[in-house]
Amino acid sequence: MKHFITATLLMGLATPVFADDITIGFAIAKSGWVEAYDAPAVAAARIRIDEINAAGGLMGKQLKWIEADTKSDQAQSASAGLQMVDDGADMLIVSCDYDFGAPAALAAESAGLNSFFLCAEDIKAGIQGVGPNSFSASILAAVQGATMAEWAVKEREAMTGYVLLDTTIEYNKGICTGYDWMFPKAGGEIVGRDTFLNGDASIASQITRIKSLDKEPDVIMLCSYIPGAASAVRQIRAAGINSTILNGSAVDGSYWLDAAPDLSNFIVPVQGSIYGDDTRPAVNEFRDAFEAATGAGPSSTYAYPGYLLIDLWAKAVERAGTVEASAVTAELEKMSNEPTAFGPRSFSSEIHHQNTAEMQIIEITNGKPAVTGSFTISEPVPLAVLLK
Amino acid sequence: MNAIPQLFFDAMSLGGIYAMAALGIALIFGVMNLVNFAHGEYIAFCVFALIVPSTDAVAVMFIGKAPAILLIPMLLSIGALVAVASEFFVFRHMRNSTPVAMMISSFALGFVIQNTLLLVYSSRPKAVSLWPELNKPVSIVGASIPLLQIIVIVTTLIVVVALALLLKRTRIGLEMRAAAENFTMARLLGVRANVVITGAFALSGALAAAVALIMVTQTGVADVRMGGQIMLVAFIATVIGGLGSLPGAVAAGFLIGAASVILQGFLPLEARPFRDAFLYTLVIAVLLLKPDGLFAPRSSKPRV
Repeated sequence: MKHFITATLLMGLATPVFADDITIGFAIAKSGWVEAYDAPAVAAARIRIDEINAAGGLMGKQLKWIEADTKSDQAQSASAGLQMVDDGADMLIVSCDYDFGAPAALAAESAGLNSFFLCAEDIKAGIQGVGPNSFSASILAAVQGATMAEWAVKEREAMTGYVLLDTTIEYNKGICTGYDWMFPKAGGEIVGRDTFLNGDASIASQITRIKSLDKEPDVIMLCSYIPGAASAVRQIRAAGINSTILNGSAVDGSYWLDAAPDLSNFIVPVQGSIYGDDTRPAVNEFRDAFEAATGAGPSSTYAYPGYLLIDLWAKAVERAGTVEASAVTAELEKMSNEPTAFGPRSFSSEIHHQNTAEMQIIEITNGKPAVTGSFTISEPVPLAVLLK
Repeated sequence: MNAIPQLFFDAMSLGGIYAMAALGIALIFGVMNLVNFAHGEYIAFCVFALIVPSTDAVAVMFIGKAPAILLIPMLLSIGALVAVASEFFVFRHMRNSTPVAMMISSFALGFVIQNTLLLVYSSRPKAVSLWPELNKPVSIVGASIPLLQIIVIVTTLIVVVALALLLKRTRIGLEMRAAAENFTMARLLGVRANVVITGAFALSGALAAAVALIMVTQTGVADVRMGGQIMLVAFIATVIGGLGSLPGAVAAGFLIGAASVILQGFLPLEARPFRDAFLYTLVIAVLLLKPDGLFAPRSSKPRV
């Protein structure tokens, strides 16, 4: 009898509480410096959640969300992740950046849940760094660099390139890796390279090195992020160097353009334009919906992956008929050129990221950003390059 | 392009910024044995004072709109005011504490200032275009350098000379030097402690504002974390210069700037990402050879 009671009690504990809702747990920065990067993507994710609920929910169930603050701290990220798991989340959405999202994603992984990074662009934010049930909705940094390299050669006939790498974070190295892989392949020649740090008070010696080249390079691949990128561009242009400057998506947004007055010949690859001029009407519609929901348009392209990740995850759940992680992961991995508002998306059992994608090319002319076209690299970035 | 003058100007201008920041730290250490780690946050505070307080992504100029002739004295006073206020509210109450306790509280003060900025301005870096025309290059003895670099070098020299005159020729300067040598003895001999300390904080804050103006003109961005890196270098400069020695801090500031530029210029590409590691190895080497710093004041050595 005693054993029977114990067994019943244990069974009672082990059986999940019957719930009519599906719960999405956000372990994200609601305070501290990462908040500015997480908040727009979270807002976009909620718009997609509301849309799904308005259309009758997912498998007939309403989606509800709960959240915990990582306080922009890696240790707090782990406990925020655990808290979401304990509060009954069926999947976890974690901070944009790999370093800040990974501790929470690992908590999800060990509880057997799916996790999605809001916008991580490092291959580690997935199978390689977290585990088999972790994904990111953004486009790998190396793809951004490769897109810039091939686009510059094909569309702007760039023959010579210079690489200026900010060695502060992994993301920057990813962009330059992609560029280094593609630029010579597409027919260009890298004529010089240099490094700097995001917080450097001055990049005068780096500029001296560029100016001492025999001929100004056609393009400069700047692998950096704001604020260091803005400060580098200001100093490069002030020094009278007029080469076309190529970048990763991290410098998207017009909010920093005052730092480099009347900037021209400045190219940014993004997954969707925030200026209402995307070549795909669906993106512009979502941009307007975002503005209506939050009171302001997105300040950078990094709002969009939030929308996309809910969209893709919900599709996979619908197909799997369950929120159970391995079944959803299997469905996600089956996606090959899955159509979305932001172009086709694919996942595989090797890569839980986009190693090729249609990107919008934003060009800044006289301080005004505008889409100049869209571009997809001719071959996906191989895993060996991504793991460099 | 002439390589040697170019290198010289690049090194002097970076060194100038470091020297000015180091001077701000050395001044306070001299009078009250406090390594003020909030100094970097004074710099960030002064940069953000230029723009309208708001969490919007696009920054709107506030006092940054004023013409230079008004803006410079205004910002220097803001810097001085913040530093004096932090002395009045925090450090004054810790006069009898150990240097370690004061240093920890300066860290705490730095966190308070940084998080206040975060709250008011949000964490996203902002663009501040102050005097962009100063970044236009001019040609001097075969080197092409932005006008700002010359201004930085000249300003640093002026500040150092002015400070030297202030310390050597005025009563408050005499009192500060006396306080730096031996604070207790100076007080016993009638040096007004509050005036000296407040004066040192005001000067230090004004120097932070000067660094802020240079940084923002050069980089065009305001970021809550922008003071951290420069504070670190400046602190190291004061240590290498010999804690408490003002000329030592300036010389070491220039030295670190020069070493950094030379390393960036001559290290092979593979080693260049580790520039700072080489730089700090040099720092360790210097401290191993001269543990009191290159220009240690006599007062820092035991007399018996």
